[in-house]
Amino acid sequence: MKTAVYFCNCGTNISEKINPEKVEDAVKKSNGGIIFKSCGFLCSEEGKEFLRKDIMDNGIEAVVIPACSPRDHEKTFINVLSAAGVNPYMMQMINIREQVAWVTEDKEKAAEKAVHYINAAISRVNLQEPLEKKEIDVSPDAIVVGAGPAGLKAALSLAEAGRKVTVVEKSPTIGGLPVRYEEIFPNMECGPCMLEPIMGDALHGNASGNIEFLTLSEIEDVVGSYGNFTVKIKRSPRYVDAEKCIGCAECIAPCPASFKNPFNCDMNERKAIDFSFAGALPNVPYVNAGVCLRFNDNDGADGGSCRLCIDACPVGEEVFKFDEKEEIIERNAGSIILATGSALYDCGKISSLGYGKIPAVYNSIEFERILASNGPTEGKIKTPDGKEPQSFAIVHCVGSLDKNHKDYCSGICCEYAFKFNHIIRNKIPSAKIYHLYKEIVIPGKESGSLYRHAAEDKNTVFIRVSDINGMTVAEESGKKVFSISGACGSGGGAGGGEIEKRGGEVSEKISVDAVILCPAVVPGGDMDGLAGILEVVRDKNGFFEELHGRTDVGKSTIKGVYLAGSCHSPMDIKEAMSEGMAAAGYVLSGLVAGKKLSIDPISAVVNQERCSGCKVCIGVCPYKAISFDEKEEASLVNELLCQGCGTCAAACPSSAIKANGFTNEEIFAEIGIMLA
Amino acid sequence: MQNSTAIKENMLDNTVNIEKAKKMEVFEPRIIGFLCNWCSYAGADKAGAAQKPYSPNVSVIKVMCSGRIDPQFILEAFKKGADGVMILACHPGDCHYKEGNYRAVQRHRLLLRLLKQFGIEEERCRFDYVSAGEGDRFVSVINETVEAVKKLGPLKI
Repeated sequence: MKTAVYFCNCGTNISEKINPEKVEDAVKKSNGGIIFKSCGFLCSEEGKEFLRKDIMDNGIEAVVIPACSPRDHEKTFINVLSAAGVNPYMMQMINIREQVAWVTEDKEKAAEKAVHYINAAISRVNLQEPLEKKEIDVSPDAIVVGAGPAGLKAALSLAEAGRKVTVVEKSPTIGGLPVRYEEIFPNMECGPCMLEPIMGDALHGNASGNIEFLTLSEIEDVVGSYGNFTVKIKRSPRYVDAEKCIGCAECIAPCPASFKNPFNCDMNERKAIDFSFAGALPNVPYVNAGVCLRFNDNDGADGGSCRLCIDACPVGEEVFKFDEKEEIIERNAGSIILATGSALYDCGKISSLGYGKIPAVYNSIEFERILASNGPTEGKIKTPDGKEPQSFAIVHCVGSLDKNHKDYCSGICCEYAFKFNHIIRNKIPSAKIYHLYKEIVIPGKESGSLYRHAAEDKNTVFIRVSDINGMTVAEESGKKVFSISGACGSGGGAGGGEIEKRGGEVSEKISVDAVILCPAVVPGGDMDGLAGILEVVRDKNGFFEELHGRTDVGKSTIKGVYLAGSCHSPMDIKEAMSEGMAAAGYVLSGLVAGKKLSIDPISAVVNQERCSGCKVCIGVCPYKAISFDEKEEASLVNELLCQGCGTCAAACPSSAIKANGFTNEEIFAEIGIMLA
Repeated sequence: MQNSTAIKENMLDNTVNIEKAKKMEVFEPRIIGFLCNWCSYAGADKAGAAQKPYSPNVSVIKVMCSGRIDPQFILEAFKKGADGVMILACHPGDCHYKEGNYRAVQRHRLLLRLLKQFGIEEERCRFDYVSAGEGDRFVSVINETVEAVKKLGPLKI
């Protein structure tokens, strides 16, 4: 193989320490008169032109470039090689500036080291193979899982850019958690109203033709990889034809069957055929087959004969599809965005706080529904006995900042806690409100206002408690009585400066009518199922793990599977929306319609004849890029997913895996010549 | 291309060589350093950019990830006459490939047991972490290792 060494003097940066002539003599002697040329600045326009021309004129097939760090100019010279018609993987750049000239005091030793490096590179480059980038066809379309703020924003952004998007939502409605909130922080905007334009655009806007919503649907299976996923979606029947129903709600009142409405946290009832809430989108009711008499009575020929909803429908019988069955829908997409959202930590796990045992001890979503005008109390604050509470304890940090529960701060609870304060104050002006907290966290330029309203309010008391989850709540004649041990803070108090006071009241026992617990935000939905199907990694708290916690928060550990919103970390609506947009950005920049995806050939390749089928490599691959080929009884690398780290090659006990660009032979040659 | 023996002969003729150094009774150990592309190699560049001089006895072989470092490479280096071997990886949790550095450290621990059986001292095979920003640390890790191997003297196996 005709090999040449192009030595860059880098002005005098290299040549001052390492004498090019001496190196040339030594290298030529060791390598049988190999072509050796030096140049002032190989990276300059003249240098690059010299390199290109010299390679072409001399029919050079492999190139060694002793110069600066490959970080600086490897790409520059790759381009020159390509321009000269030489495979760019037939180059070895040696870092004799940063790693020899600049750090070696003795000139003789520097030259000696450079000669070793060049000789090793020559032997290595002669073993290198002209690798080719492969190109594959890809689908520019995307699947979005979850129709909350992040999912909607991602879907709409992609659809507006002309991409086809299938949104898979497990509930019957879209909008996620914020549609359950009457008002949201920091500006007391109406949650559903804020989402309405986005949902409206997604359902009926200019780009809506590019979005397919599959509600009551879940991911059943995913095969393939980045660029070409085939996704099986299980859709449960709604029993109402969304195309024909006009959403008039005439069917609801006559329905004789009802059950506890999960949308309102089981605090009221809904009919077997009903909307999740007034204003739910899509504007089509759905039937709970577990309750509807047609599925649960046997008075007719095929089950129940009840037809009160059908008779009430102004459109007619064709709207109802009681024979609808569960369906498997298949879609192809190049990318998948997970936007499955979050849930609240189960307050029942901190039994001393009385949640689930003492009436009028709510978690924050339950209280959101109580405040909502379309909620179980139509927005009136009432405890289950029908009375308006006159005193409240809003407990921050429930299950948070506590290694026995969740050791993180969710960063949103204080903000909505002060929102609750504001709403309660408006609805019940004389109410006494206690904030029991471990830490107050209110980041963001807009969040000071709600906090200040609470802090300056005469009837609002702040008590800092070192162990929130160690408090006990007991019911005494209708009152919720908190026993707080370890209250602390900067103000005065019974415990000798232990209780911080801002409302003028000090007590280690407080008694209230209603309790609102603000728990840690935890992963929501069927994380186990999805993580299993997609093989995405979850962090120690169960959230989907980011590829990198700072620089690539929108990427999962699986290529082409992106993360948006609180499925990977607690966050507020603003962040979730930005993340939806960011995920759309990954899809748009990663896969472009009509453009093929090129695959870096620095990847691992299994010699299937040599593979013993031990599967050690499968376990060590951080990218799930290796699968087991049952037919050949050997491992197989998906070169699209492989990132070229070479860990599998080092782990293979049969040396059956070749790490392209870093093969055993290449590295052995380097070792041997380096020590020659 | 010539074979390595020929190259060796030429090297011996033409460069300041080890035999000569030994005759002068100044032991200059030959050490192979396996560096990962993303952290430790970048750390070496950082030391270079700061022009911090260090001992020239370590010859660097770059791999994409410390997880690529097959224990065979280390054994091969000792076989070919290295007096010491270094493996420098990203700090725990910082691996560009997520967990290659954990594999590397696991393999290193196992290998040390084997090296002991060959009579190769632990100090001759150093595993350490150097981030892309730790130029100073790179320099001190190199110098420390060279000093430690100098103290042990040439590898005798």
